[in-house]
Amino acid sequence: MNSPGVALADALSGQRDLLLTCVHCGLCLPACPTYVRLHDENDSPRGRLYLMRAVVEGRIDPAAEAFQTHIDRCLGCRACEPVCPAGVEYGTLLEHARAVAVTARPRPWFIRTLLGVFQRPGRTRTVMRLSRWLRASGLAGLGAWVFPRRWHTLRMGLAMLSASGGGKLRRLGRRRRAALPEAPVGPPDAYSALLDTDEEDELRPARVGLLSGCVQAGLFERVNDATGRVLKANGFAAVTPSAQGCCGALHGHAGDLEGARALARVNIAAFEGADVETVVVNAAGCGAAMKGYAQLLADDAEFATRAAAMTEKIVDISEILVRYGMRQGASVPARVTYDAPCHLLHAQGVAEAPLEMLRSIPQLELVELNGSAECCGGAGLYGITQGELGGAIGSDKVDAILETKAEAVATGNPGCMMHIGAWLRFRGARIETIHPVELVDESYRRGGLY
Amino acid sequence: MSAALSSEVTADLRTIVGDQWVITDPVRLLAYESDGLTAYRRPPGAVVLPADTDEVSQVMARLAHAEVPVVPRGAGTGLSGGALAGSDAVILATPRMNRIVHVDPENRLALLQPGVINADLTEAARPHGLYYAPDPSSQSACTIGGNVAENAGGPHCLKYGVTSRYVTGLTVVLYDGEVLRLGGLGRDSAGYDLTGVFIGSEGCFGIATEIEVRLLPIPQATRTLLAMFDRLEDAGEAVSAIVARGLLPAALEIIDRETIQAVEASIFAAGYPVDVEAALVIEFDGIEAGLDFEAEEAEGCCWEKGAREVRRARSERERLGLWKGRKNAFGAFGRVAPDLLVQDATVPRTRLPEVLRAISEIGHRYGLRLANVFHAGDGNLHPNILFDRTDEDELARVEQASREIMAVCVAAGGTITGEHGVGLDKRGYMRLVHSRDVLEVMRATKKAFDPWGGMNPGKVLP
Repeated sequence: MNSPGVALADALSGQRDLLLTCVHCGLCLPACPTYVRLHDENDSPRGRLYLMRAVVEGRIDPAAEAFQTHIDRCLGCRACEPVCPAGVEYGTLLEHARAVAVTARPRPWFIRTLLGVFQRPGRTRTVMRLSRWLRASGLAGLGAWVFPRRWHTLRMGLAMLSASGGGKLRRLGRRRRAALPEAPVGPPDAYSALLDTDEEDELRPARVGLLSGCVQAGLFERVNDATGRVLKANGFAAVTPSAQGCCGALHGHAGDLEGARALARVNIAAFEGADVETVVVNAAGCGAAMKGYAQLLADDAEFATRAAAMTEKIVDISEILVRYGMRQGASVPARVTYDAPCHLLHAQGVAEAPLEMLRSIPQLELVELNGSAECCGGAGLYGITQGELGGAIGSDKVDAILETKAEAVATGNPGCMMHIGAWLRFRGARIETIHPVELVDESYRRGGLY
Repeated sequence: MSAALSSEVTADLRTIVGDQWVITDPVRLLAYESDGLTAYRRPPGAVVLPADTDEVSQVMARLAHAEVPVVPRGAGTGLSGGALAGSDAVILATPRMNRIVHVDPENRLALLQPGVINADLTEAARPHGLYYAPDPSSQSACTIGGNVAENAGGPHCLKYGVTSRYVTGLTVVLYDGEVLRLGGLGRDSAGYDLTGVFIGSEGCFGIATEIEVRLLPIPQATRTLLAMFDRLEDAGEAVSAIVARGLLPAALEIIDRETIQAVEASIFAAGYPVDVEAALVIEFDGIEAGLDFEAEEAEGCCWEKGAREVRRARSERERLGLWKGRKNAFGAFGRVAPDLLVQDATVPRTRLPEVLRAISEIGHRYGLRLANVFHAGDGNLHPNILFDRTDEDELARVEQASREIMAVCVAAGGTITGEHGVGLDKRGYMRLVHSRDVLEVMRATKKAFDPWGGMNPGKVLP
């Protein structure tokens, strides 16, 4: 066994107990988007866990092509976790397996470059400025249009960038708007609790932290702005500590656990400095990663306790609004469908809150999306790195979206928004891809709340 | 038989099914070295994934020509090691054959390929007000092809019967590639019931590539009770009392303390009380009128036998929660121990209490953790032995205890499998329950379908 094998044995041996909880029952197979499409058990959660176990037991070399391919081909959507009776912590195991897979065989240069960019706020800002210019000038859209399919990485990257540009929210539901009477707008203190929770009596936090994120801040500033406005309208003052950075999700998923830990420490310190009990996140991937800080830094003498405390503070924007109740805005009589981001639904177990949030918008017609619980194929960088399979999954998602005849698809994660948006564009569909909180924001704007 | 797998053979397989649908890389074959029963592990020589009857036929003809044995595999959820092949054999896996050809609501039939998942069939039938009755606990993942091979059962088979009652026709490919059509159109064809003979043949006769099944109307209403007992035997006696009273529940399931604790610690926690020795799930279904009466009668039986508490599921959600807990019990043991061996013996219902006592005594004697979760109404026991396969001493005790449990069940007038099949795991027990003559008839039947001996060799028959 060469050194990467030893490294994996080290990285994964600590996880041996987690691995052994898999009893090979196979109930995860149909939940896995890659198994359902590829039909190879090595592309199922059970098969991938078996490969990990084989590495730990020294039966295979992590540099082996099969290990690399099948671990790489996992979306990391974690749809296997909610169906696993043994409660295998697949997401954690995958990150460790990836860590060793990349030690055995480094990633392609552009992935390493991209991860390096997000490691430093300065670099992130520069790249985001350039990206916004590419987007605003129309060059991104043009490139996605003219570059041949075989240049998949570049074409997809540009298409996703172009798709991040934002929807025409003000036009949503305009055709039907005149026909319907306006619903009354809720008074400033009328927070209607949308779900029965035990926390009704809990004190409503006056101040909350807000994660700006890297991609979110760079390309989806409008979503961050909308989040801030909606929070404020509901009585939460949002603070965004300037010392914060990228959450490290992309690094963790790509197997760069040290990179992820370094970023986690930065964010923990930043939000400790902000003196808030709640940190609101509007990107599902970031929320899941930050709720995982406790586990990520469990062996860090200085940060373990602080990371655990941080994990407790993280809430998705939909969670906080639904938990404490939210004001009602004006009607947005649009036909909208919702796609559940995997890292909200499967990784964080937040299923109902985003739907409740959308249902709170008067006259919004929420149509169910077939296969909403299945990954869109974006999966961080997957849509770019695994073009063929990511494309097939993305294309199925677009088919389901078209079937709903919705004017817009709402999903609370930048990666999903860009990937779905890119595939909608490739298919020439005129459907807006928006963040659910943008709809709430639009409803408030129409209602004159600000 | 059993020539080594040559590269010419695999090259030909690639030509038949397409390059990407043949797996020969030794690392990739590891995933196929066991099924749901991890006590047995042997990687196959290759895995081939054909798309339809025609490809299966060509693959089989080619393998027969090269004298390479074939082992069919669905989702690999089986619990008797039936879907395992040695390095000289090929696994023919069916997940690509996952098409529901049609659902015919007027005739209440469906035609499907073998890789269709059991629960997906019910999902497809639901818009027509129909469902597929056999509901193995792995129904969210297991395939109908596998169900046919094992003649699968499930909790609701107490009232509705097992797979053989619902399969009305089969397209079968024999080892030499010949395609047979058995039965069909909802009724048996004239002559011997070959469809019936094929069901439960555990992949030893051939492979079913198209399956016609009967669907049932979804019951109008259900009543689900949960009775808690301080003694496992009392729960067993309540089962006998319910049946003796002339009631016909859809399901009667017992879950013991160890199992309850595993389930309640999992994400499928259903609110079973963790301090009782046994919980009995009783379900009645059918037309609304009369269900309350049956439920009350059953409840009476439970009180009579010393139940501590009897609850009723107040909503469909609660009912589904109870079933989710029950159906995920097997996997939930993963939290308790790295490996488990689930036994599958059937005893006359009236002997349940004494057999349960004897099984628990065996567990104590060998210092093993045992958990019981079973179809009590059918007398179909599933003692789960929890262990760690890396502990060789423990593994040896598991095998010994397992054998003794079987002997106890057979001595009580039972048999060695209720629904999981014989496979690799229970071959050694076949002589416990069958006479030499019966085994000869089985051998002759196998020969009638597979005179070459190429289908799933080394399984079922001792």
